Amino acid sequence: MTLTHYLALGAGLFAIGLFGALTRRNVIGILMSIELMFNAANINFVAFNRFLHPDRLLGQAVTIFNITIAAAEVVVGLALVLAIYRKLNTVYAEDYNLLKG
Amino acid sequence: MNLLSWIIFTPLIGAVAVLFIPKEKVTAIRATALGAAGISFLLSLVALAFFSTAESATGMQLVERHAWIPTFNIQYFLGVDGLSLPLLLLTTLLTLLSLIFSLSIQERVKEYFFWFLLLDVGMLGVFAALDLILFYIFWELTLVPMYFLIGVWGGPKKEFAAIKFFLYTLFGSVFMLLGILALYFNSAPHTFDLVELAKMHPGWTEHFQIMAFLAFYLGFAIKVPAFPFHTWLPLAHVEAPTAVSVILAGVLLKMGGYGLLRVSYAVLPLGFKWFIPYLLVIATIGIIYGALCAMAQTDMKKMVAYSSVNHMGYVLLGLAAVSSTGFNGAMLQMVAHGLITGALFLLVGVVYDRAHTRDISAFGGLAARVPVYAGLMTLTCFASLGLPGLAGFFGEFFCFLGAFQRFPIFAILAVTGVLVTAAFFLRMIQKVFLGPLNTKWASLEEINARELAAVLPLTVLTVYLGVWPRAALDLMNPTINNMVNILAPLFNK
Amino acid sequence: MIDHAYLIPLVPLIASIIVLLFGKEGPKSNMPLLSIGAMGFCWLDSCSILYKALTHQVSMPYPAPSLPWFTFGDYPVSLGLLLDGPAVFMTFVVTLVSLLVQIYSLGYMHGDTRFKRFYAYVGFFTASMLGLVLSSNLLVVFACWELMGVSSYLLIGFWFEKPGPAYASKKAFITTKLGDLGFYLGLLLLFAYAGTFEIPMLAQRASMGAVALPVEVATAAGLLLLCGAIGKSAQVPLFIWLPDAMEGPTPVSALIHAATMVAAGIFLVARTQFLYAASPLASDIVAWVGLLTAFMAATMALVAYDIKRVLAFSTVSQLGYMMLGLGVGAAGYTAALFHLTTHAFFKALLFLGAGSVIHAMHTNDMREMGGLSKKMLSTSVTMAIATLAITGFPGFSGFYSKEAILAAVYGHSPLMWAVALLTAGLTTFYMFRMMFMTFAGNPRDIAKHDHAHESPSVMTVPLWVLAVLSALAGFLLSHTGAFEALVHLPEASHGGHHPGFLLWSALAVFAGAAGLSYWLYGRGDFAVAADLKAKMSPIFTLLENRYGFDDFFLLLVKGSDVLARICFWIDERIIDRVFVDAWGLICLLLAEIQNFIDTLFIDGAVDLTGTVTGWAGGGLRGLVRGQVQEYLLYVAMAASLFAMLTLIH
Repeated sequence: MTLTHYLALGAGLFAIGLFGALTRRNVIGILMSIELMFNAANINFVAFNRFLHPDRLLGQAVTIFNITIAAAEVVVGLALVLAIYRKLNTVYAEDYNLLKG
Repeated sequence: MNLLSWIIFTPLIGAVAVLFIPKEKVTAIRATALGAAGISFLLSLVALAFFSTAESATGMQLVERHAWIPTFNIQYFLGVDGLSLPLLLLTTLLTLLSLIFSLSIQERVKEYFFWFLLLDVGMLGVFAALDLILFYIFWELTLVPMYFLIGVWGGPKKEFAAIKFFLYTLFGSVFMLLGILALYFNSAPHTFDLVELAKMHPGWTEHFQIMAFLAFYLGFAIKVPAFPFHTWLPLAHVEAPTAVSVILAGVLLKMGGYGLLRVSYAVLPLGFKWFIPYLLVIATIGIIYGALCAMAQTDMKKMVAYSSVNHMGYVLLGLAAVSSTGFNGAMLQMVAHGLITGALFLLVGVVYDRAHTRDISAFGGLAARVPVYAGLMTLTCFASLGLPGLAGFFGEFFCFLGAFQRFPIFAILAVTGVLVTAAFFLRMIQKVFLGPLNTKWASLEEINARELAAVLPLTVLTVYLGVWPRAALDLMNPTINNMVNILAPLFNK
Repeated sequence: MIDHAYLIPLVPLIASIIVLLFGKEGPKSNMPLLSIGAMGFCWLDSCSILYKALTHQVSMPYPAPSLPWFTFGDYPVSLGLLLDGPAVFMTFVVTLVSLLVQIYSLGYMHGDTRFKRFYAYVGFFTASMLGLVLSSNLLVVFACWELMGVSSYLLIGFWFEKPGPAYASKKAFITTKLGDLGFYLGLLLLFAYAGTFEIPMLAQRASMGAVALPVEVATAAGLLLLCGAIGKSAQVPLFIWLPDAMEGPTPVSALIHAATMVAAGIFLVARTQFLYAASPLASDIVAWVGLLTAFMAATMALVAYDIKRVLAFSTVSQLGYMMLGLGVGAAGYTAALFHLTTHAFFKALLFLGAGSVIHAMHTNDMREMGGLSKKMLSTSVTMAIATLAITGFPGFSGFYSKEAILAAVYGHSPLMWAVALLTAGLTTFYMFRMMFMTFAGNPRDIAKHDHAHESPSVMTVPLWVLAVLSALAGFLLSHTGAFEALVHLPEASHGGHHPGFLLWSALAVFAGAAGLSYWLYGRGDFAVAADLKAKMSPIFTLLENRYGFDDFFLLLVKGSDVLARICFWIDERIIDRVFVDAWGLICLLLAEIQNFIDTLFIDGAVDLTGTVTGWAGGGLRGLVRGQVQEYLLYVAMAASLFAMLTLIH
């Protein structure tokens, strides 16, 4: 297994996440897709760390950070979704268009 | 702070205090305003007591001097001499009396007294300031309160009158500012100090002095008002409320005459000398023409307003004489005119408040109904037409005396103005007070205590100065003699 | 008391102020007593001074102390007294006449609602005259002169509720003021040359000859002062105010005509005699003005029916006499002032007598009188004495003074003497005419006549006092030489001899005029007089119109009114409208133009930027539809684009 394999996995995962984020109608789905992209990034971090600087743990540390932030982000995101759901009674992203120009 | 600052800024303190009183508490507002004006008046009496009238006391007295904007050598420089002190006293007195008369104002009392006190600050400052920038600031400071006082509390055409007054006088003072800057940039070292500037004329060319003189003259002549810049005056006088007319005629016009002596004559003697022939013509026209215009009036207030044009013409005539006699006359005439015309406006206001008309022919026979009022009015009218024994005589007489010594023709021409003045005042007295009582006014009320309190001091002073002109002359004579003697070589060439 | 002579004008002044301001007003007011007391004091004071002067206990002019008044420039001015012969005599006359007039007024003004004020004014009037007489300072003389003008204004208009007095008072003031302008300018001229107002110093300058005071200046100053005198003393052409001044209460007329006001003009010319001495031209003009006035006024008196107007014209005529006397040199000077003194007595008496008649008859018109001698004995007898005095009946006071003037005039110019003599004849004629119409014959208005009664003694006693003086003053002062001793010019030659025919011609003229008067008016019916009037109606009309002077001055007044209106029109329509408001309009117009340019170009450019941005925004807004996923897509596209570019390089 070389670095390329890991990077290909990360890129694939990112592409799937991006696709999900752009195409899902459900906001919660979008949130989940974003999580996928986060994890794609995490894989890249860990892989780079392992293959380029195995003596240091910088990549792992950043990944831990990312996981924490992703968790917080999901909490905030879900809270927002809940709040906006109460107001608009919908979970579809295309209905969230209050900022329409 | 020394005495002069206190005199000037006590009304300002009063004005600020008035702002902090709720507008419903009318009595407190009135008391504060009167108190401030009263203290200012008392302090000016203290200044009079400290003022030296010795022959040698020709310089500035009660001087206060601080650097203000050192970069441009602008100072906070106050002082009085024989020219300014009488006018300063006149200002504090007339303000106090006008405020007493204004106690009957019911509309927007708070603003009224605020503006009035602010106006007082400006006028007092003009007479005490010896730095041209300070002078200019105070000069302009009088405009805004006047604008509001005429524009808010005035008669039917008040807005127009206020705007016309404001723009006209502003027009003049803009040129004055130009003159001030010209003096500044041509002085070495650059200064706005009037005492210093008065020593610099030998270094200036005649051409420069004439140009600077004209710039200042425009500012002062509009204020005086000298023919033909007088037309704002009848309008502003007629539309202004009574007390404001008093200040307008009694003090604001004097600022012009004072400026001509203090700045135009003392600082720019060659310019002044060059202008004398024109000044004579202007003065003579002002005297005769003002009197004739007054004779054509049917509105008492407008008549008095035009009579001011006539009376200030005497002042200009006295100035044109360039002699101790003429200058004494001009100063005395300014003081007397302040007292007399102030009283006249108050008295016209008294009858207007009752009858709501000032039309001369609308009355008749009032002397039988309101003898005290008629007596005061008659006395004041006689004072105004220059009866000996009353204040108006000596000022007028010295102006003529001074003018006659140098320019007899103009004095002879101008004397006819005296006759016309007598004619229109007597006609007014006849139509308003004499003859059978017009039954429409059968229940007209006699002058009341408040009005008497405002008028009587002026009447008493009118008689006092008429019998004992020394009271004013002793203050002015040393300064004026000195001013004339210093520049005598220039003018007698 | 002579050291306190300043009290003479001061006491009545203070008394009049007290009377005016304090005490209760009304018919029962007792403030007049204060005024009378003050005047009595002054009279006693002046008596003592006169006595001392006559007995040479003090020398004239007496050096009285002076008070510094004020200083202007380098000129000090002081309040001082000039106590010389004329002043002493005049003070005596003025205080006496004023005192008697005030006592008389207790009866005449009885019941008037402004009783007290009348006394205040009269006191002020007298004080002004006394100040004028006594002051050594020409400026103070002028001040008193003007104050007298004001007092006369107040007194003539005393019954101001009636339009007549209100108008007359104004007319008097303005007319005299016209003359006063001359006085004013004369004062300016004298000061410009001499640098002082002190009469003795001016006289000294004049006596030093043409170097100190050029003849032209003396002439100009003399003529200017004469203008003042013409106004005040009602000379031609400014006499027009005097007949109208009869609208005032009669005691005031007595005061004006006898002791104050009109006497002031004569006194001024006498005081400034040094100017006329220095200038023959001015002196001649004085004489001619006097002669003309004397003659014209006498002719106007011939046709008047108002008893007071007859007396008014007679005053003007007599003042003309005095002016004439002043214009003919040193002898005339003494004679004129002598006539001023005697005239004061008999003219005051005539006016007070006329007042008594008016008080009784309630009319001024002599055509409604007649036959009053039986009812009003004191009045008629005293007035007869006064008439004899004024017409110059031998032995009475007027005889001495008038003869003295005529003699002086003859010495100057026989032609003038002839006219003056004719005038004397006219005087005799109209005075007797007045006496005949008033007191002789039968009553013409029975109702008024029945109502008439002699005045109370408070009014008749002053008449008798004046009658005694009118009869005797001339003899006492002239024969003893007392008057001439005190009142004379330095260069006067003493006691010149006059040709005897002067006296005889005067007596002949007197007899002729008195006889003519009796023939026309003394015989009960006026048929001959009426016939004469019908035949000579143009002359009568001319005289009744006072030679058209009134119309002329009325025209002057109207003219100045028109001028005033023109000035005001110019002021309002041209100076204000064209030169001031037009500025405003031009500014407004410029502002409009600038506004237009502003809107079109400058603001347009600004607006264009905004508009373009707006259009751009409008076009782009289609891209922004509020869809989160679209935005994400843009981000992804941009990121991929960026990544591709990075990879290509």
